[in-house]
Amino acid sequence: MRFLFLLFICIFSLSFQTGCKKKNSKGDYGLALNDTLRVRIATEPPSLDMQKMSDNTSSYIAENIMDGLVVFDFKSAEVGLAPALATEWKSSNQAKNWEFKIREGVKWSDGQPFEPQHVVDGWERLLNPNTASNYSYFLYNIKNAKAYNEGKLKDFSQVGVKVEGNLIKVELDGAMPFPFLLTHQSTFPVRKDIISKFGDKWTEPGNIVTLGEYNLKKWEHDRALVVERNPLYWGKPSKTKNVIFYIIQEDQTAINLFDAGKIDFLRTLPSKELSHLRKRPEFVSYPYLSITYYGFNTKRAPTDNLLVRKALVHAIDRTKITTMLQGGQRPLSGWAPYGMFGHNPNVGLAFDPVRAKKYFQEAGYGESNPFPKMEISYNTNEDNKRIAENIQAQLRENLGIQAEIKNEEWKVYLETLKVNPSHFFRMGWVGDYPDPHNFFDIMLSYADNNHTGWENLEYDKLIEQAVTFVEDKAKRLEMYNKAHKILVEEDVPVFPIFTAVAHNLVSPRVVGMPKNVMFIFPLKNVSLQ
Amino acid sequence: MIEKIKDLSIGNVFALAFGATALSAVFLNLTNYEVPGGLIWALAFELFFGLGIYAYQNNSIIYCLKRIGEALVTLFVIATATFILLRVMPGGPFDADKALPPQIKANIEKKYGFDKPLSVQYINYIKGVVTLDFGESYKYIGRSVGDIISESFPASFTLGIYAFLLSFLIGVPLGLFAAARHNTFWDNFAMTVSISGVALPNFLFGALLILIFSIKLNILPPAMWETPAHYILPVITLGIRPAAFIARLTRSTVLDVIGSDFIRTAKAKGLSQGAVMYKHVLKNSLIPVLTYSGPLLAGILSGSFVIEMLFAVPGIGKHLIQGVTNRDYPLILGLTLLYSVLLVFSNLIVDLLYSFFDPRIRLA
Repeated sequence: MRFLFLLFICIFSLSFQTGCKKKNSKGDYGLALNDTLRVRIATEPPSLDMQKMSDNTSSYIAENIMDGLVVFDFKSAEVGLAPALATEWKSSNQAKNWEFKIREGVKWSDGQPFEPQHVVDGWERLLNPNTASNYSYFLYNIKNAKAYNEGKLKDFSQVGVKVEGNLIKVELDGAMPFPFLLTHQSTFPVRKDIISKFGDKWTEPGNIVTLGEYNLKKWEHDRALVVERNPLYWGKPSKTKNVIFYIIQEDQTAINLFDAGKIDFLRTLPSKELSHLRKRPEFVSYPYLSITYYGFNTKRAPTDNLLVRKALVHAIDRTKITTMLQGGQRPLSGWAPYGMFGHNPNVGLAFDPVRAKKYFQEAGYGESNPFPKMEISYNTNEDNKRIAENIQAQLRENLGIQAEIKNEEWKVYLETLKVNPSHFFRMGWVGDYPDPHNFFDIMLSYADNNHTGWENLEYDKLIEQAVTFVEDKAKRLEMYNKAHKILVEEDVPVFPIFTAVAHNLVSPRVVGMPKNVMFIFPLKNVSLQ
Repeated sequence: MIEKIKDLSIGNVFALAFGATALSAVFLNLTNYEVPGGLIWALAFELFFGLGIYAYQNNSIIYCLKRIGEALVTLFVIATATFILLRVMPGGPFDADKALPPQIKANIEKKYGFDKPLSVQYINYIKGVVTLDFGESYKYIGRSVGDIISESFPASFTLGIYAFLLSFLIGVPLGLFAAARHNTFWDNFAMTVSISGVALPNFLFGALLILIFSIKLNILPPAMWETPAHYILPVITLGIRPAAFIARLTRSTVLDVIGSDFIRTAKAKGLSQGAVMYKHVLKNSLIPVLTYSGPLLAGILSGSFVIEMLFAVPGIGKHLIQGVTNRDYPLILGLTLLYSVLLVFSNLIVDLLYSFFDPRIRLA
């Protein structure tokens, strides 16, 4: 009996060996190397749901498998827009009304025809409070959209969007450069039938339907995503057939794999390694639309004193910080980043230790009245630490201030910013769309991202109005220049430091890898040698 | 042969079957085949019933049930403590670098039930724990904690089991070797090697291995988790510290045992050096090693953050660390409980094995 049992178990376990599936041992999912681009992503994409994703790894995938009504056009000096799912668009009523003509003959990856209603469905989904999207506010400018998102209005037909034939008509509450928002994945079209069929699992391969140049073929969580050329794509087909997005978290590991020829493209590099990586022929760097800045807590002494803020800003040399970082960052004294409409290199307070001392004395500080304890804070990160230490050293050298440095883990830091930030705290902003409004509005007195406690009604008014002059660029620029003066010269609640720079490693076999100020990577025009 | 098998107790039959199944799984895995789910279930079945029968034969069923009962209480306390700690920790799961308008945040919090009173959240959470449904991750939208565990645990498990086996295969012989040559050059040499193994941080050791075997010699892949060749470096890196520790532990207990009366008796009976060492000394020296291996197994199976990062292993260790960074409450709770269950049960197995290695120990 026992013998039989043992025999049974042995046969049972051995029988598995015959019926077992052999795992692919060639690597790269058995795809032909000469038609497969292999890129690294640093985390598992949290979601491929267009309306729910809110991080740049997910949007890296999204921008390759989906299209919006318009795409960025990087050919001109300032970023513009090019047609995608909309062939043309126009505004009326001083940019309060917009009309988009939808491309015909476009098919979803499952063969179903693309309809204008799918765009509106996407917007409805974005605004629906049950979707709980981070980016709902993107469409708040549409008439009644905010009320719908807040649950005050239940009937979506009252929101200012409607379909007429192959036109989508949008009515805004106030004028703004609305089409820019449509490059963002949160405004992309969706298929409600697919979502209701598969629920939250609709983004898995096999379920998901898309409109972009690639289709999602495989998603091995925590390992890789594989996309394949979309044969039904409306535009020119992608030059490379397959793209594998390998999930490699550790920077050094990614570099090792790049060196071993397992990965063709790294879009971020560890800053500590830059000094030797930049000597390599595969190294590429270029600025993108972002600002790294320090904010003052204007509600807390001594930084509630304007003279103190001016003294501190004059006492810090931005170029010393960028030189120390060795990343090629561009010093920034204004608020609109380098490479964007509204950028003004001549605005802001420059490094001037003599003037810094003067302001410092005017504020009443000196040897007889030493400066009180001041806190500089940042979220825990190697670069942030180096910047904070540099600022601390410069303040000591130029004003004799002994500032204290404090660092907090990211989520704790965000909590502190909400409650009571340090006197001088690090923050940054990366553009959602290439328009000054996206940068200036974070400092509005009622903006949730304004942690300084500073408010200036004149500034608020300027920013609210400037965005409405969509068609009059000169007037708009004039208003931003005024706002700039208030923000970085007169009231000084912030100290802009630099525009960040992207650093990539691109394998020599890759041709045509995009580099642009939006830090986005549509891969359809990338070819392999 | 057949006569011998007929004499086997049912417990030993299970042990043999478990061994056979485990070997086939390892064989499949190392020859780059997918290990079928049925085999895993067979292993679990054999382990469970094998231990059950063994416990029954040793009259320790009551003891086991008592231990399991205690374990359930422990798990409940851990679950509650984790819940409280997470709520006390500053910063919430939906704080983002770009601050959200209050209404949008309210929508998100409503969706995840944060608008309900804490007591209701706690009750819902405990219900989830009891039904083994930890809910959906806050970070990875649409993926349940169960999905994440079942997708990332296999890699950590494979890595962990091999590292565990490796640490025994190196540690025990090395310890014996050193003890048998007590106070000689070889003893000192083995102990120097093992103390460096304990002292070397594994990120450094791993980086060294990558430098030598992947970058300089180019014979092993530097990272990723695809074929058995990819397992080699991470397994060595993960296994080397416990191996060194086990070597030192084995050596010191073997030296203790060698001096005892029954060994002198064994030698006096005229047994060969090998028989004395392997049959009498080793068996009686394994108790401390066994004690150490319970928590080791749990720790090693639940993933190592450093090694998973260094070798890009799609395992569970990094989820635990990043779950905390992201304040992904359901994921943290699920993984904490998983680790606790592993710890409790590997300790129970170790306790059962005590009486196998040393019949003087009675579990009651």
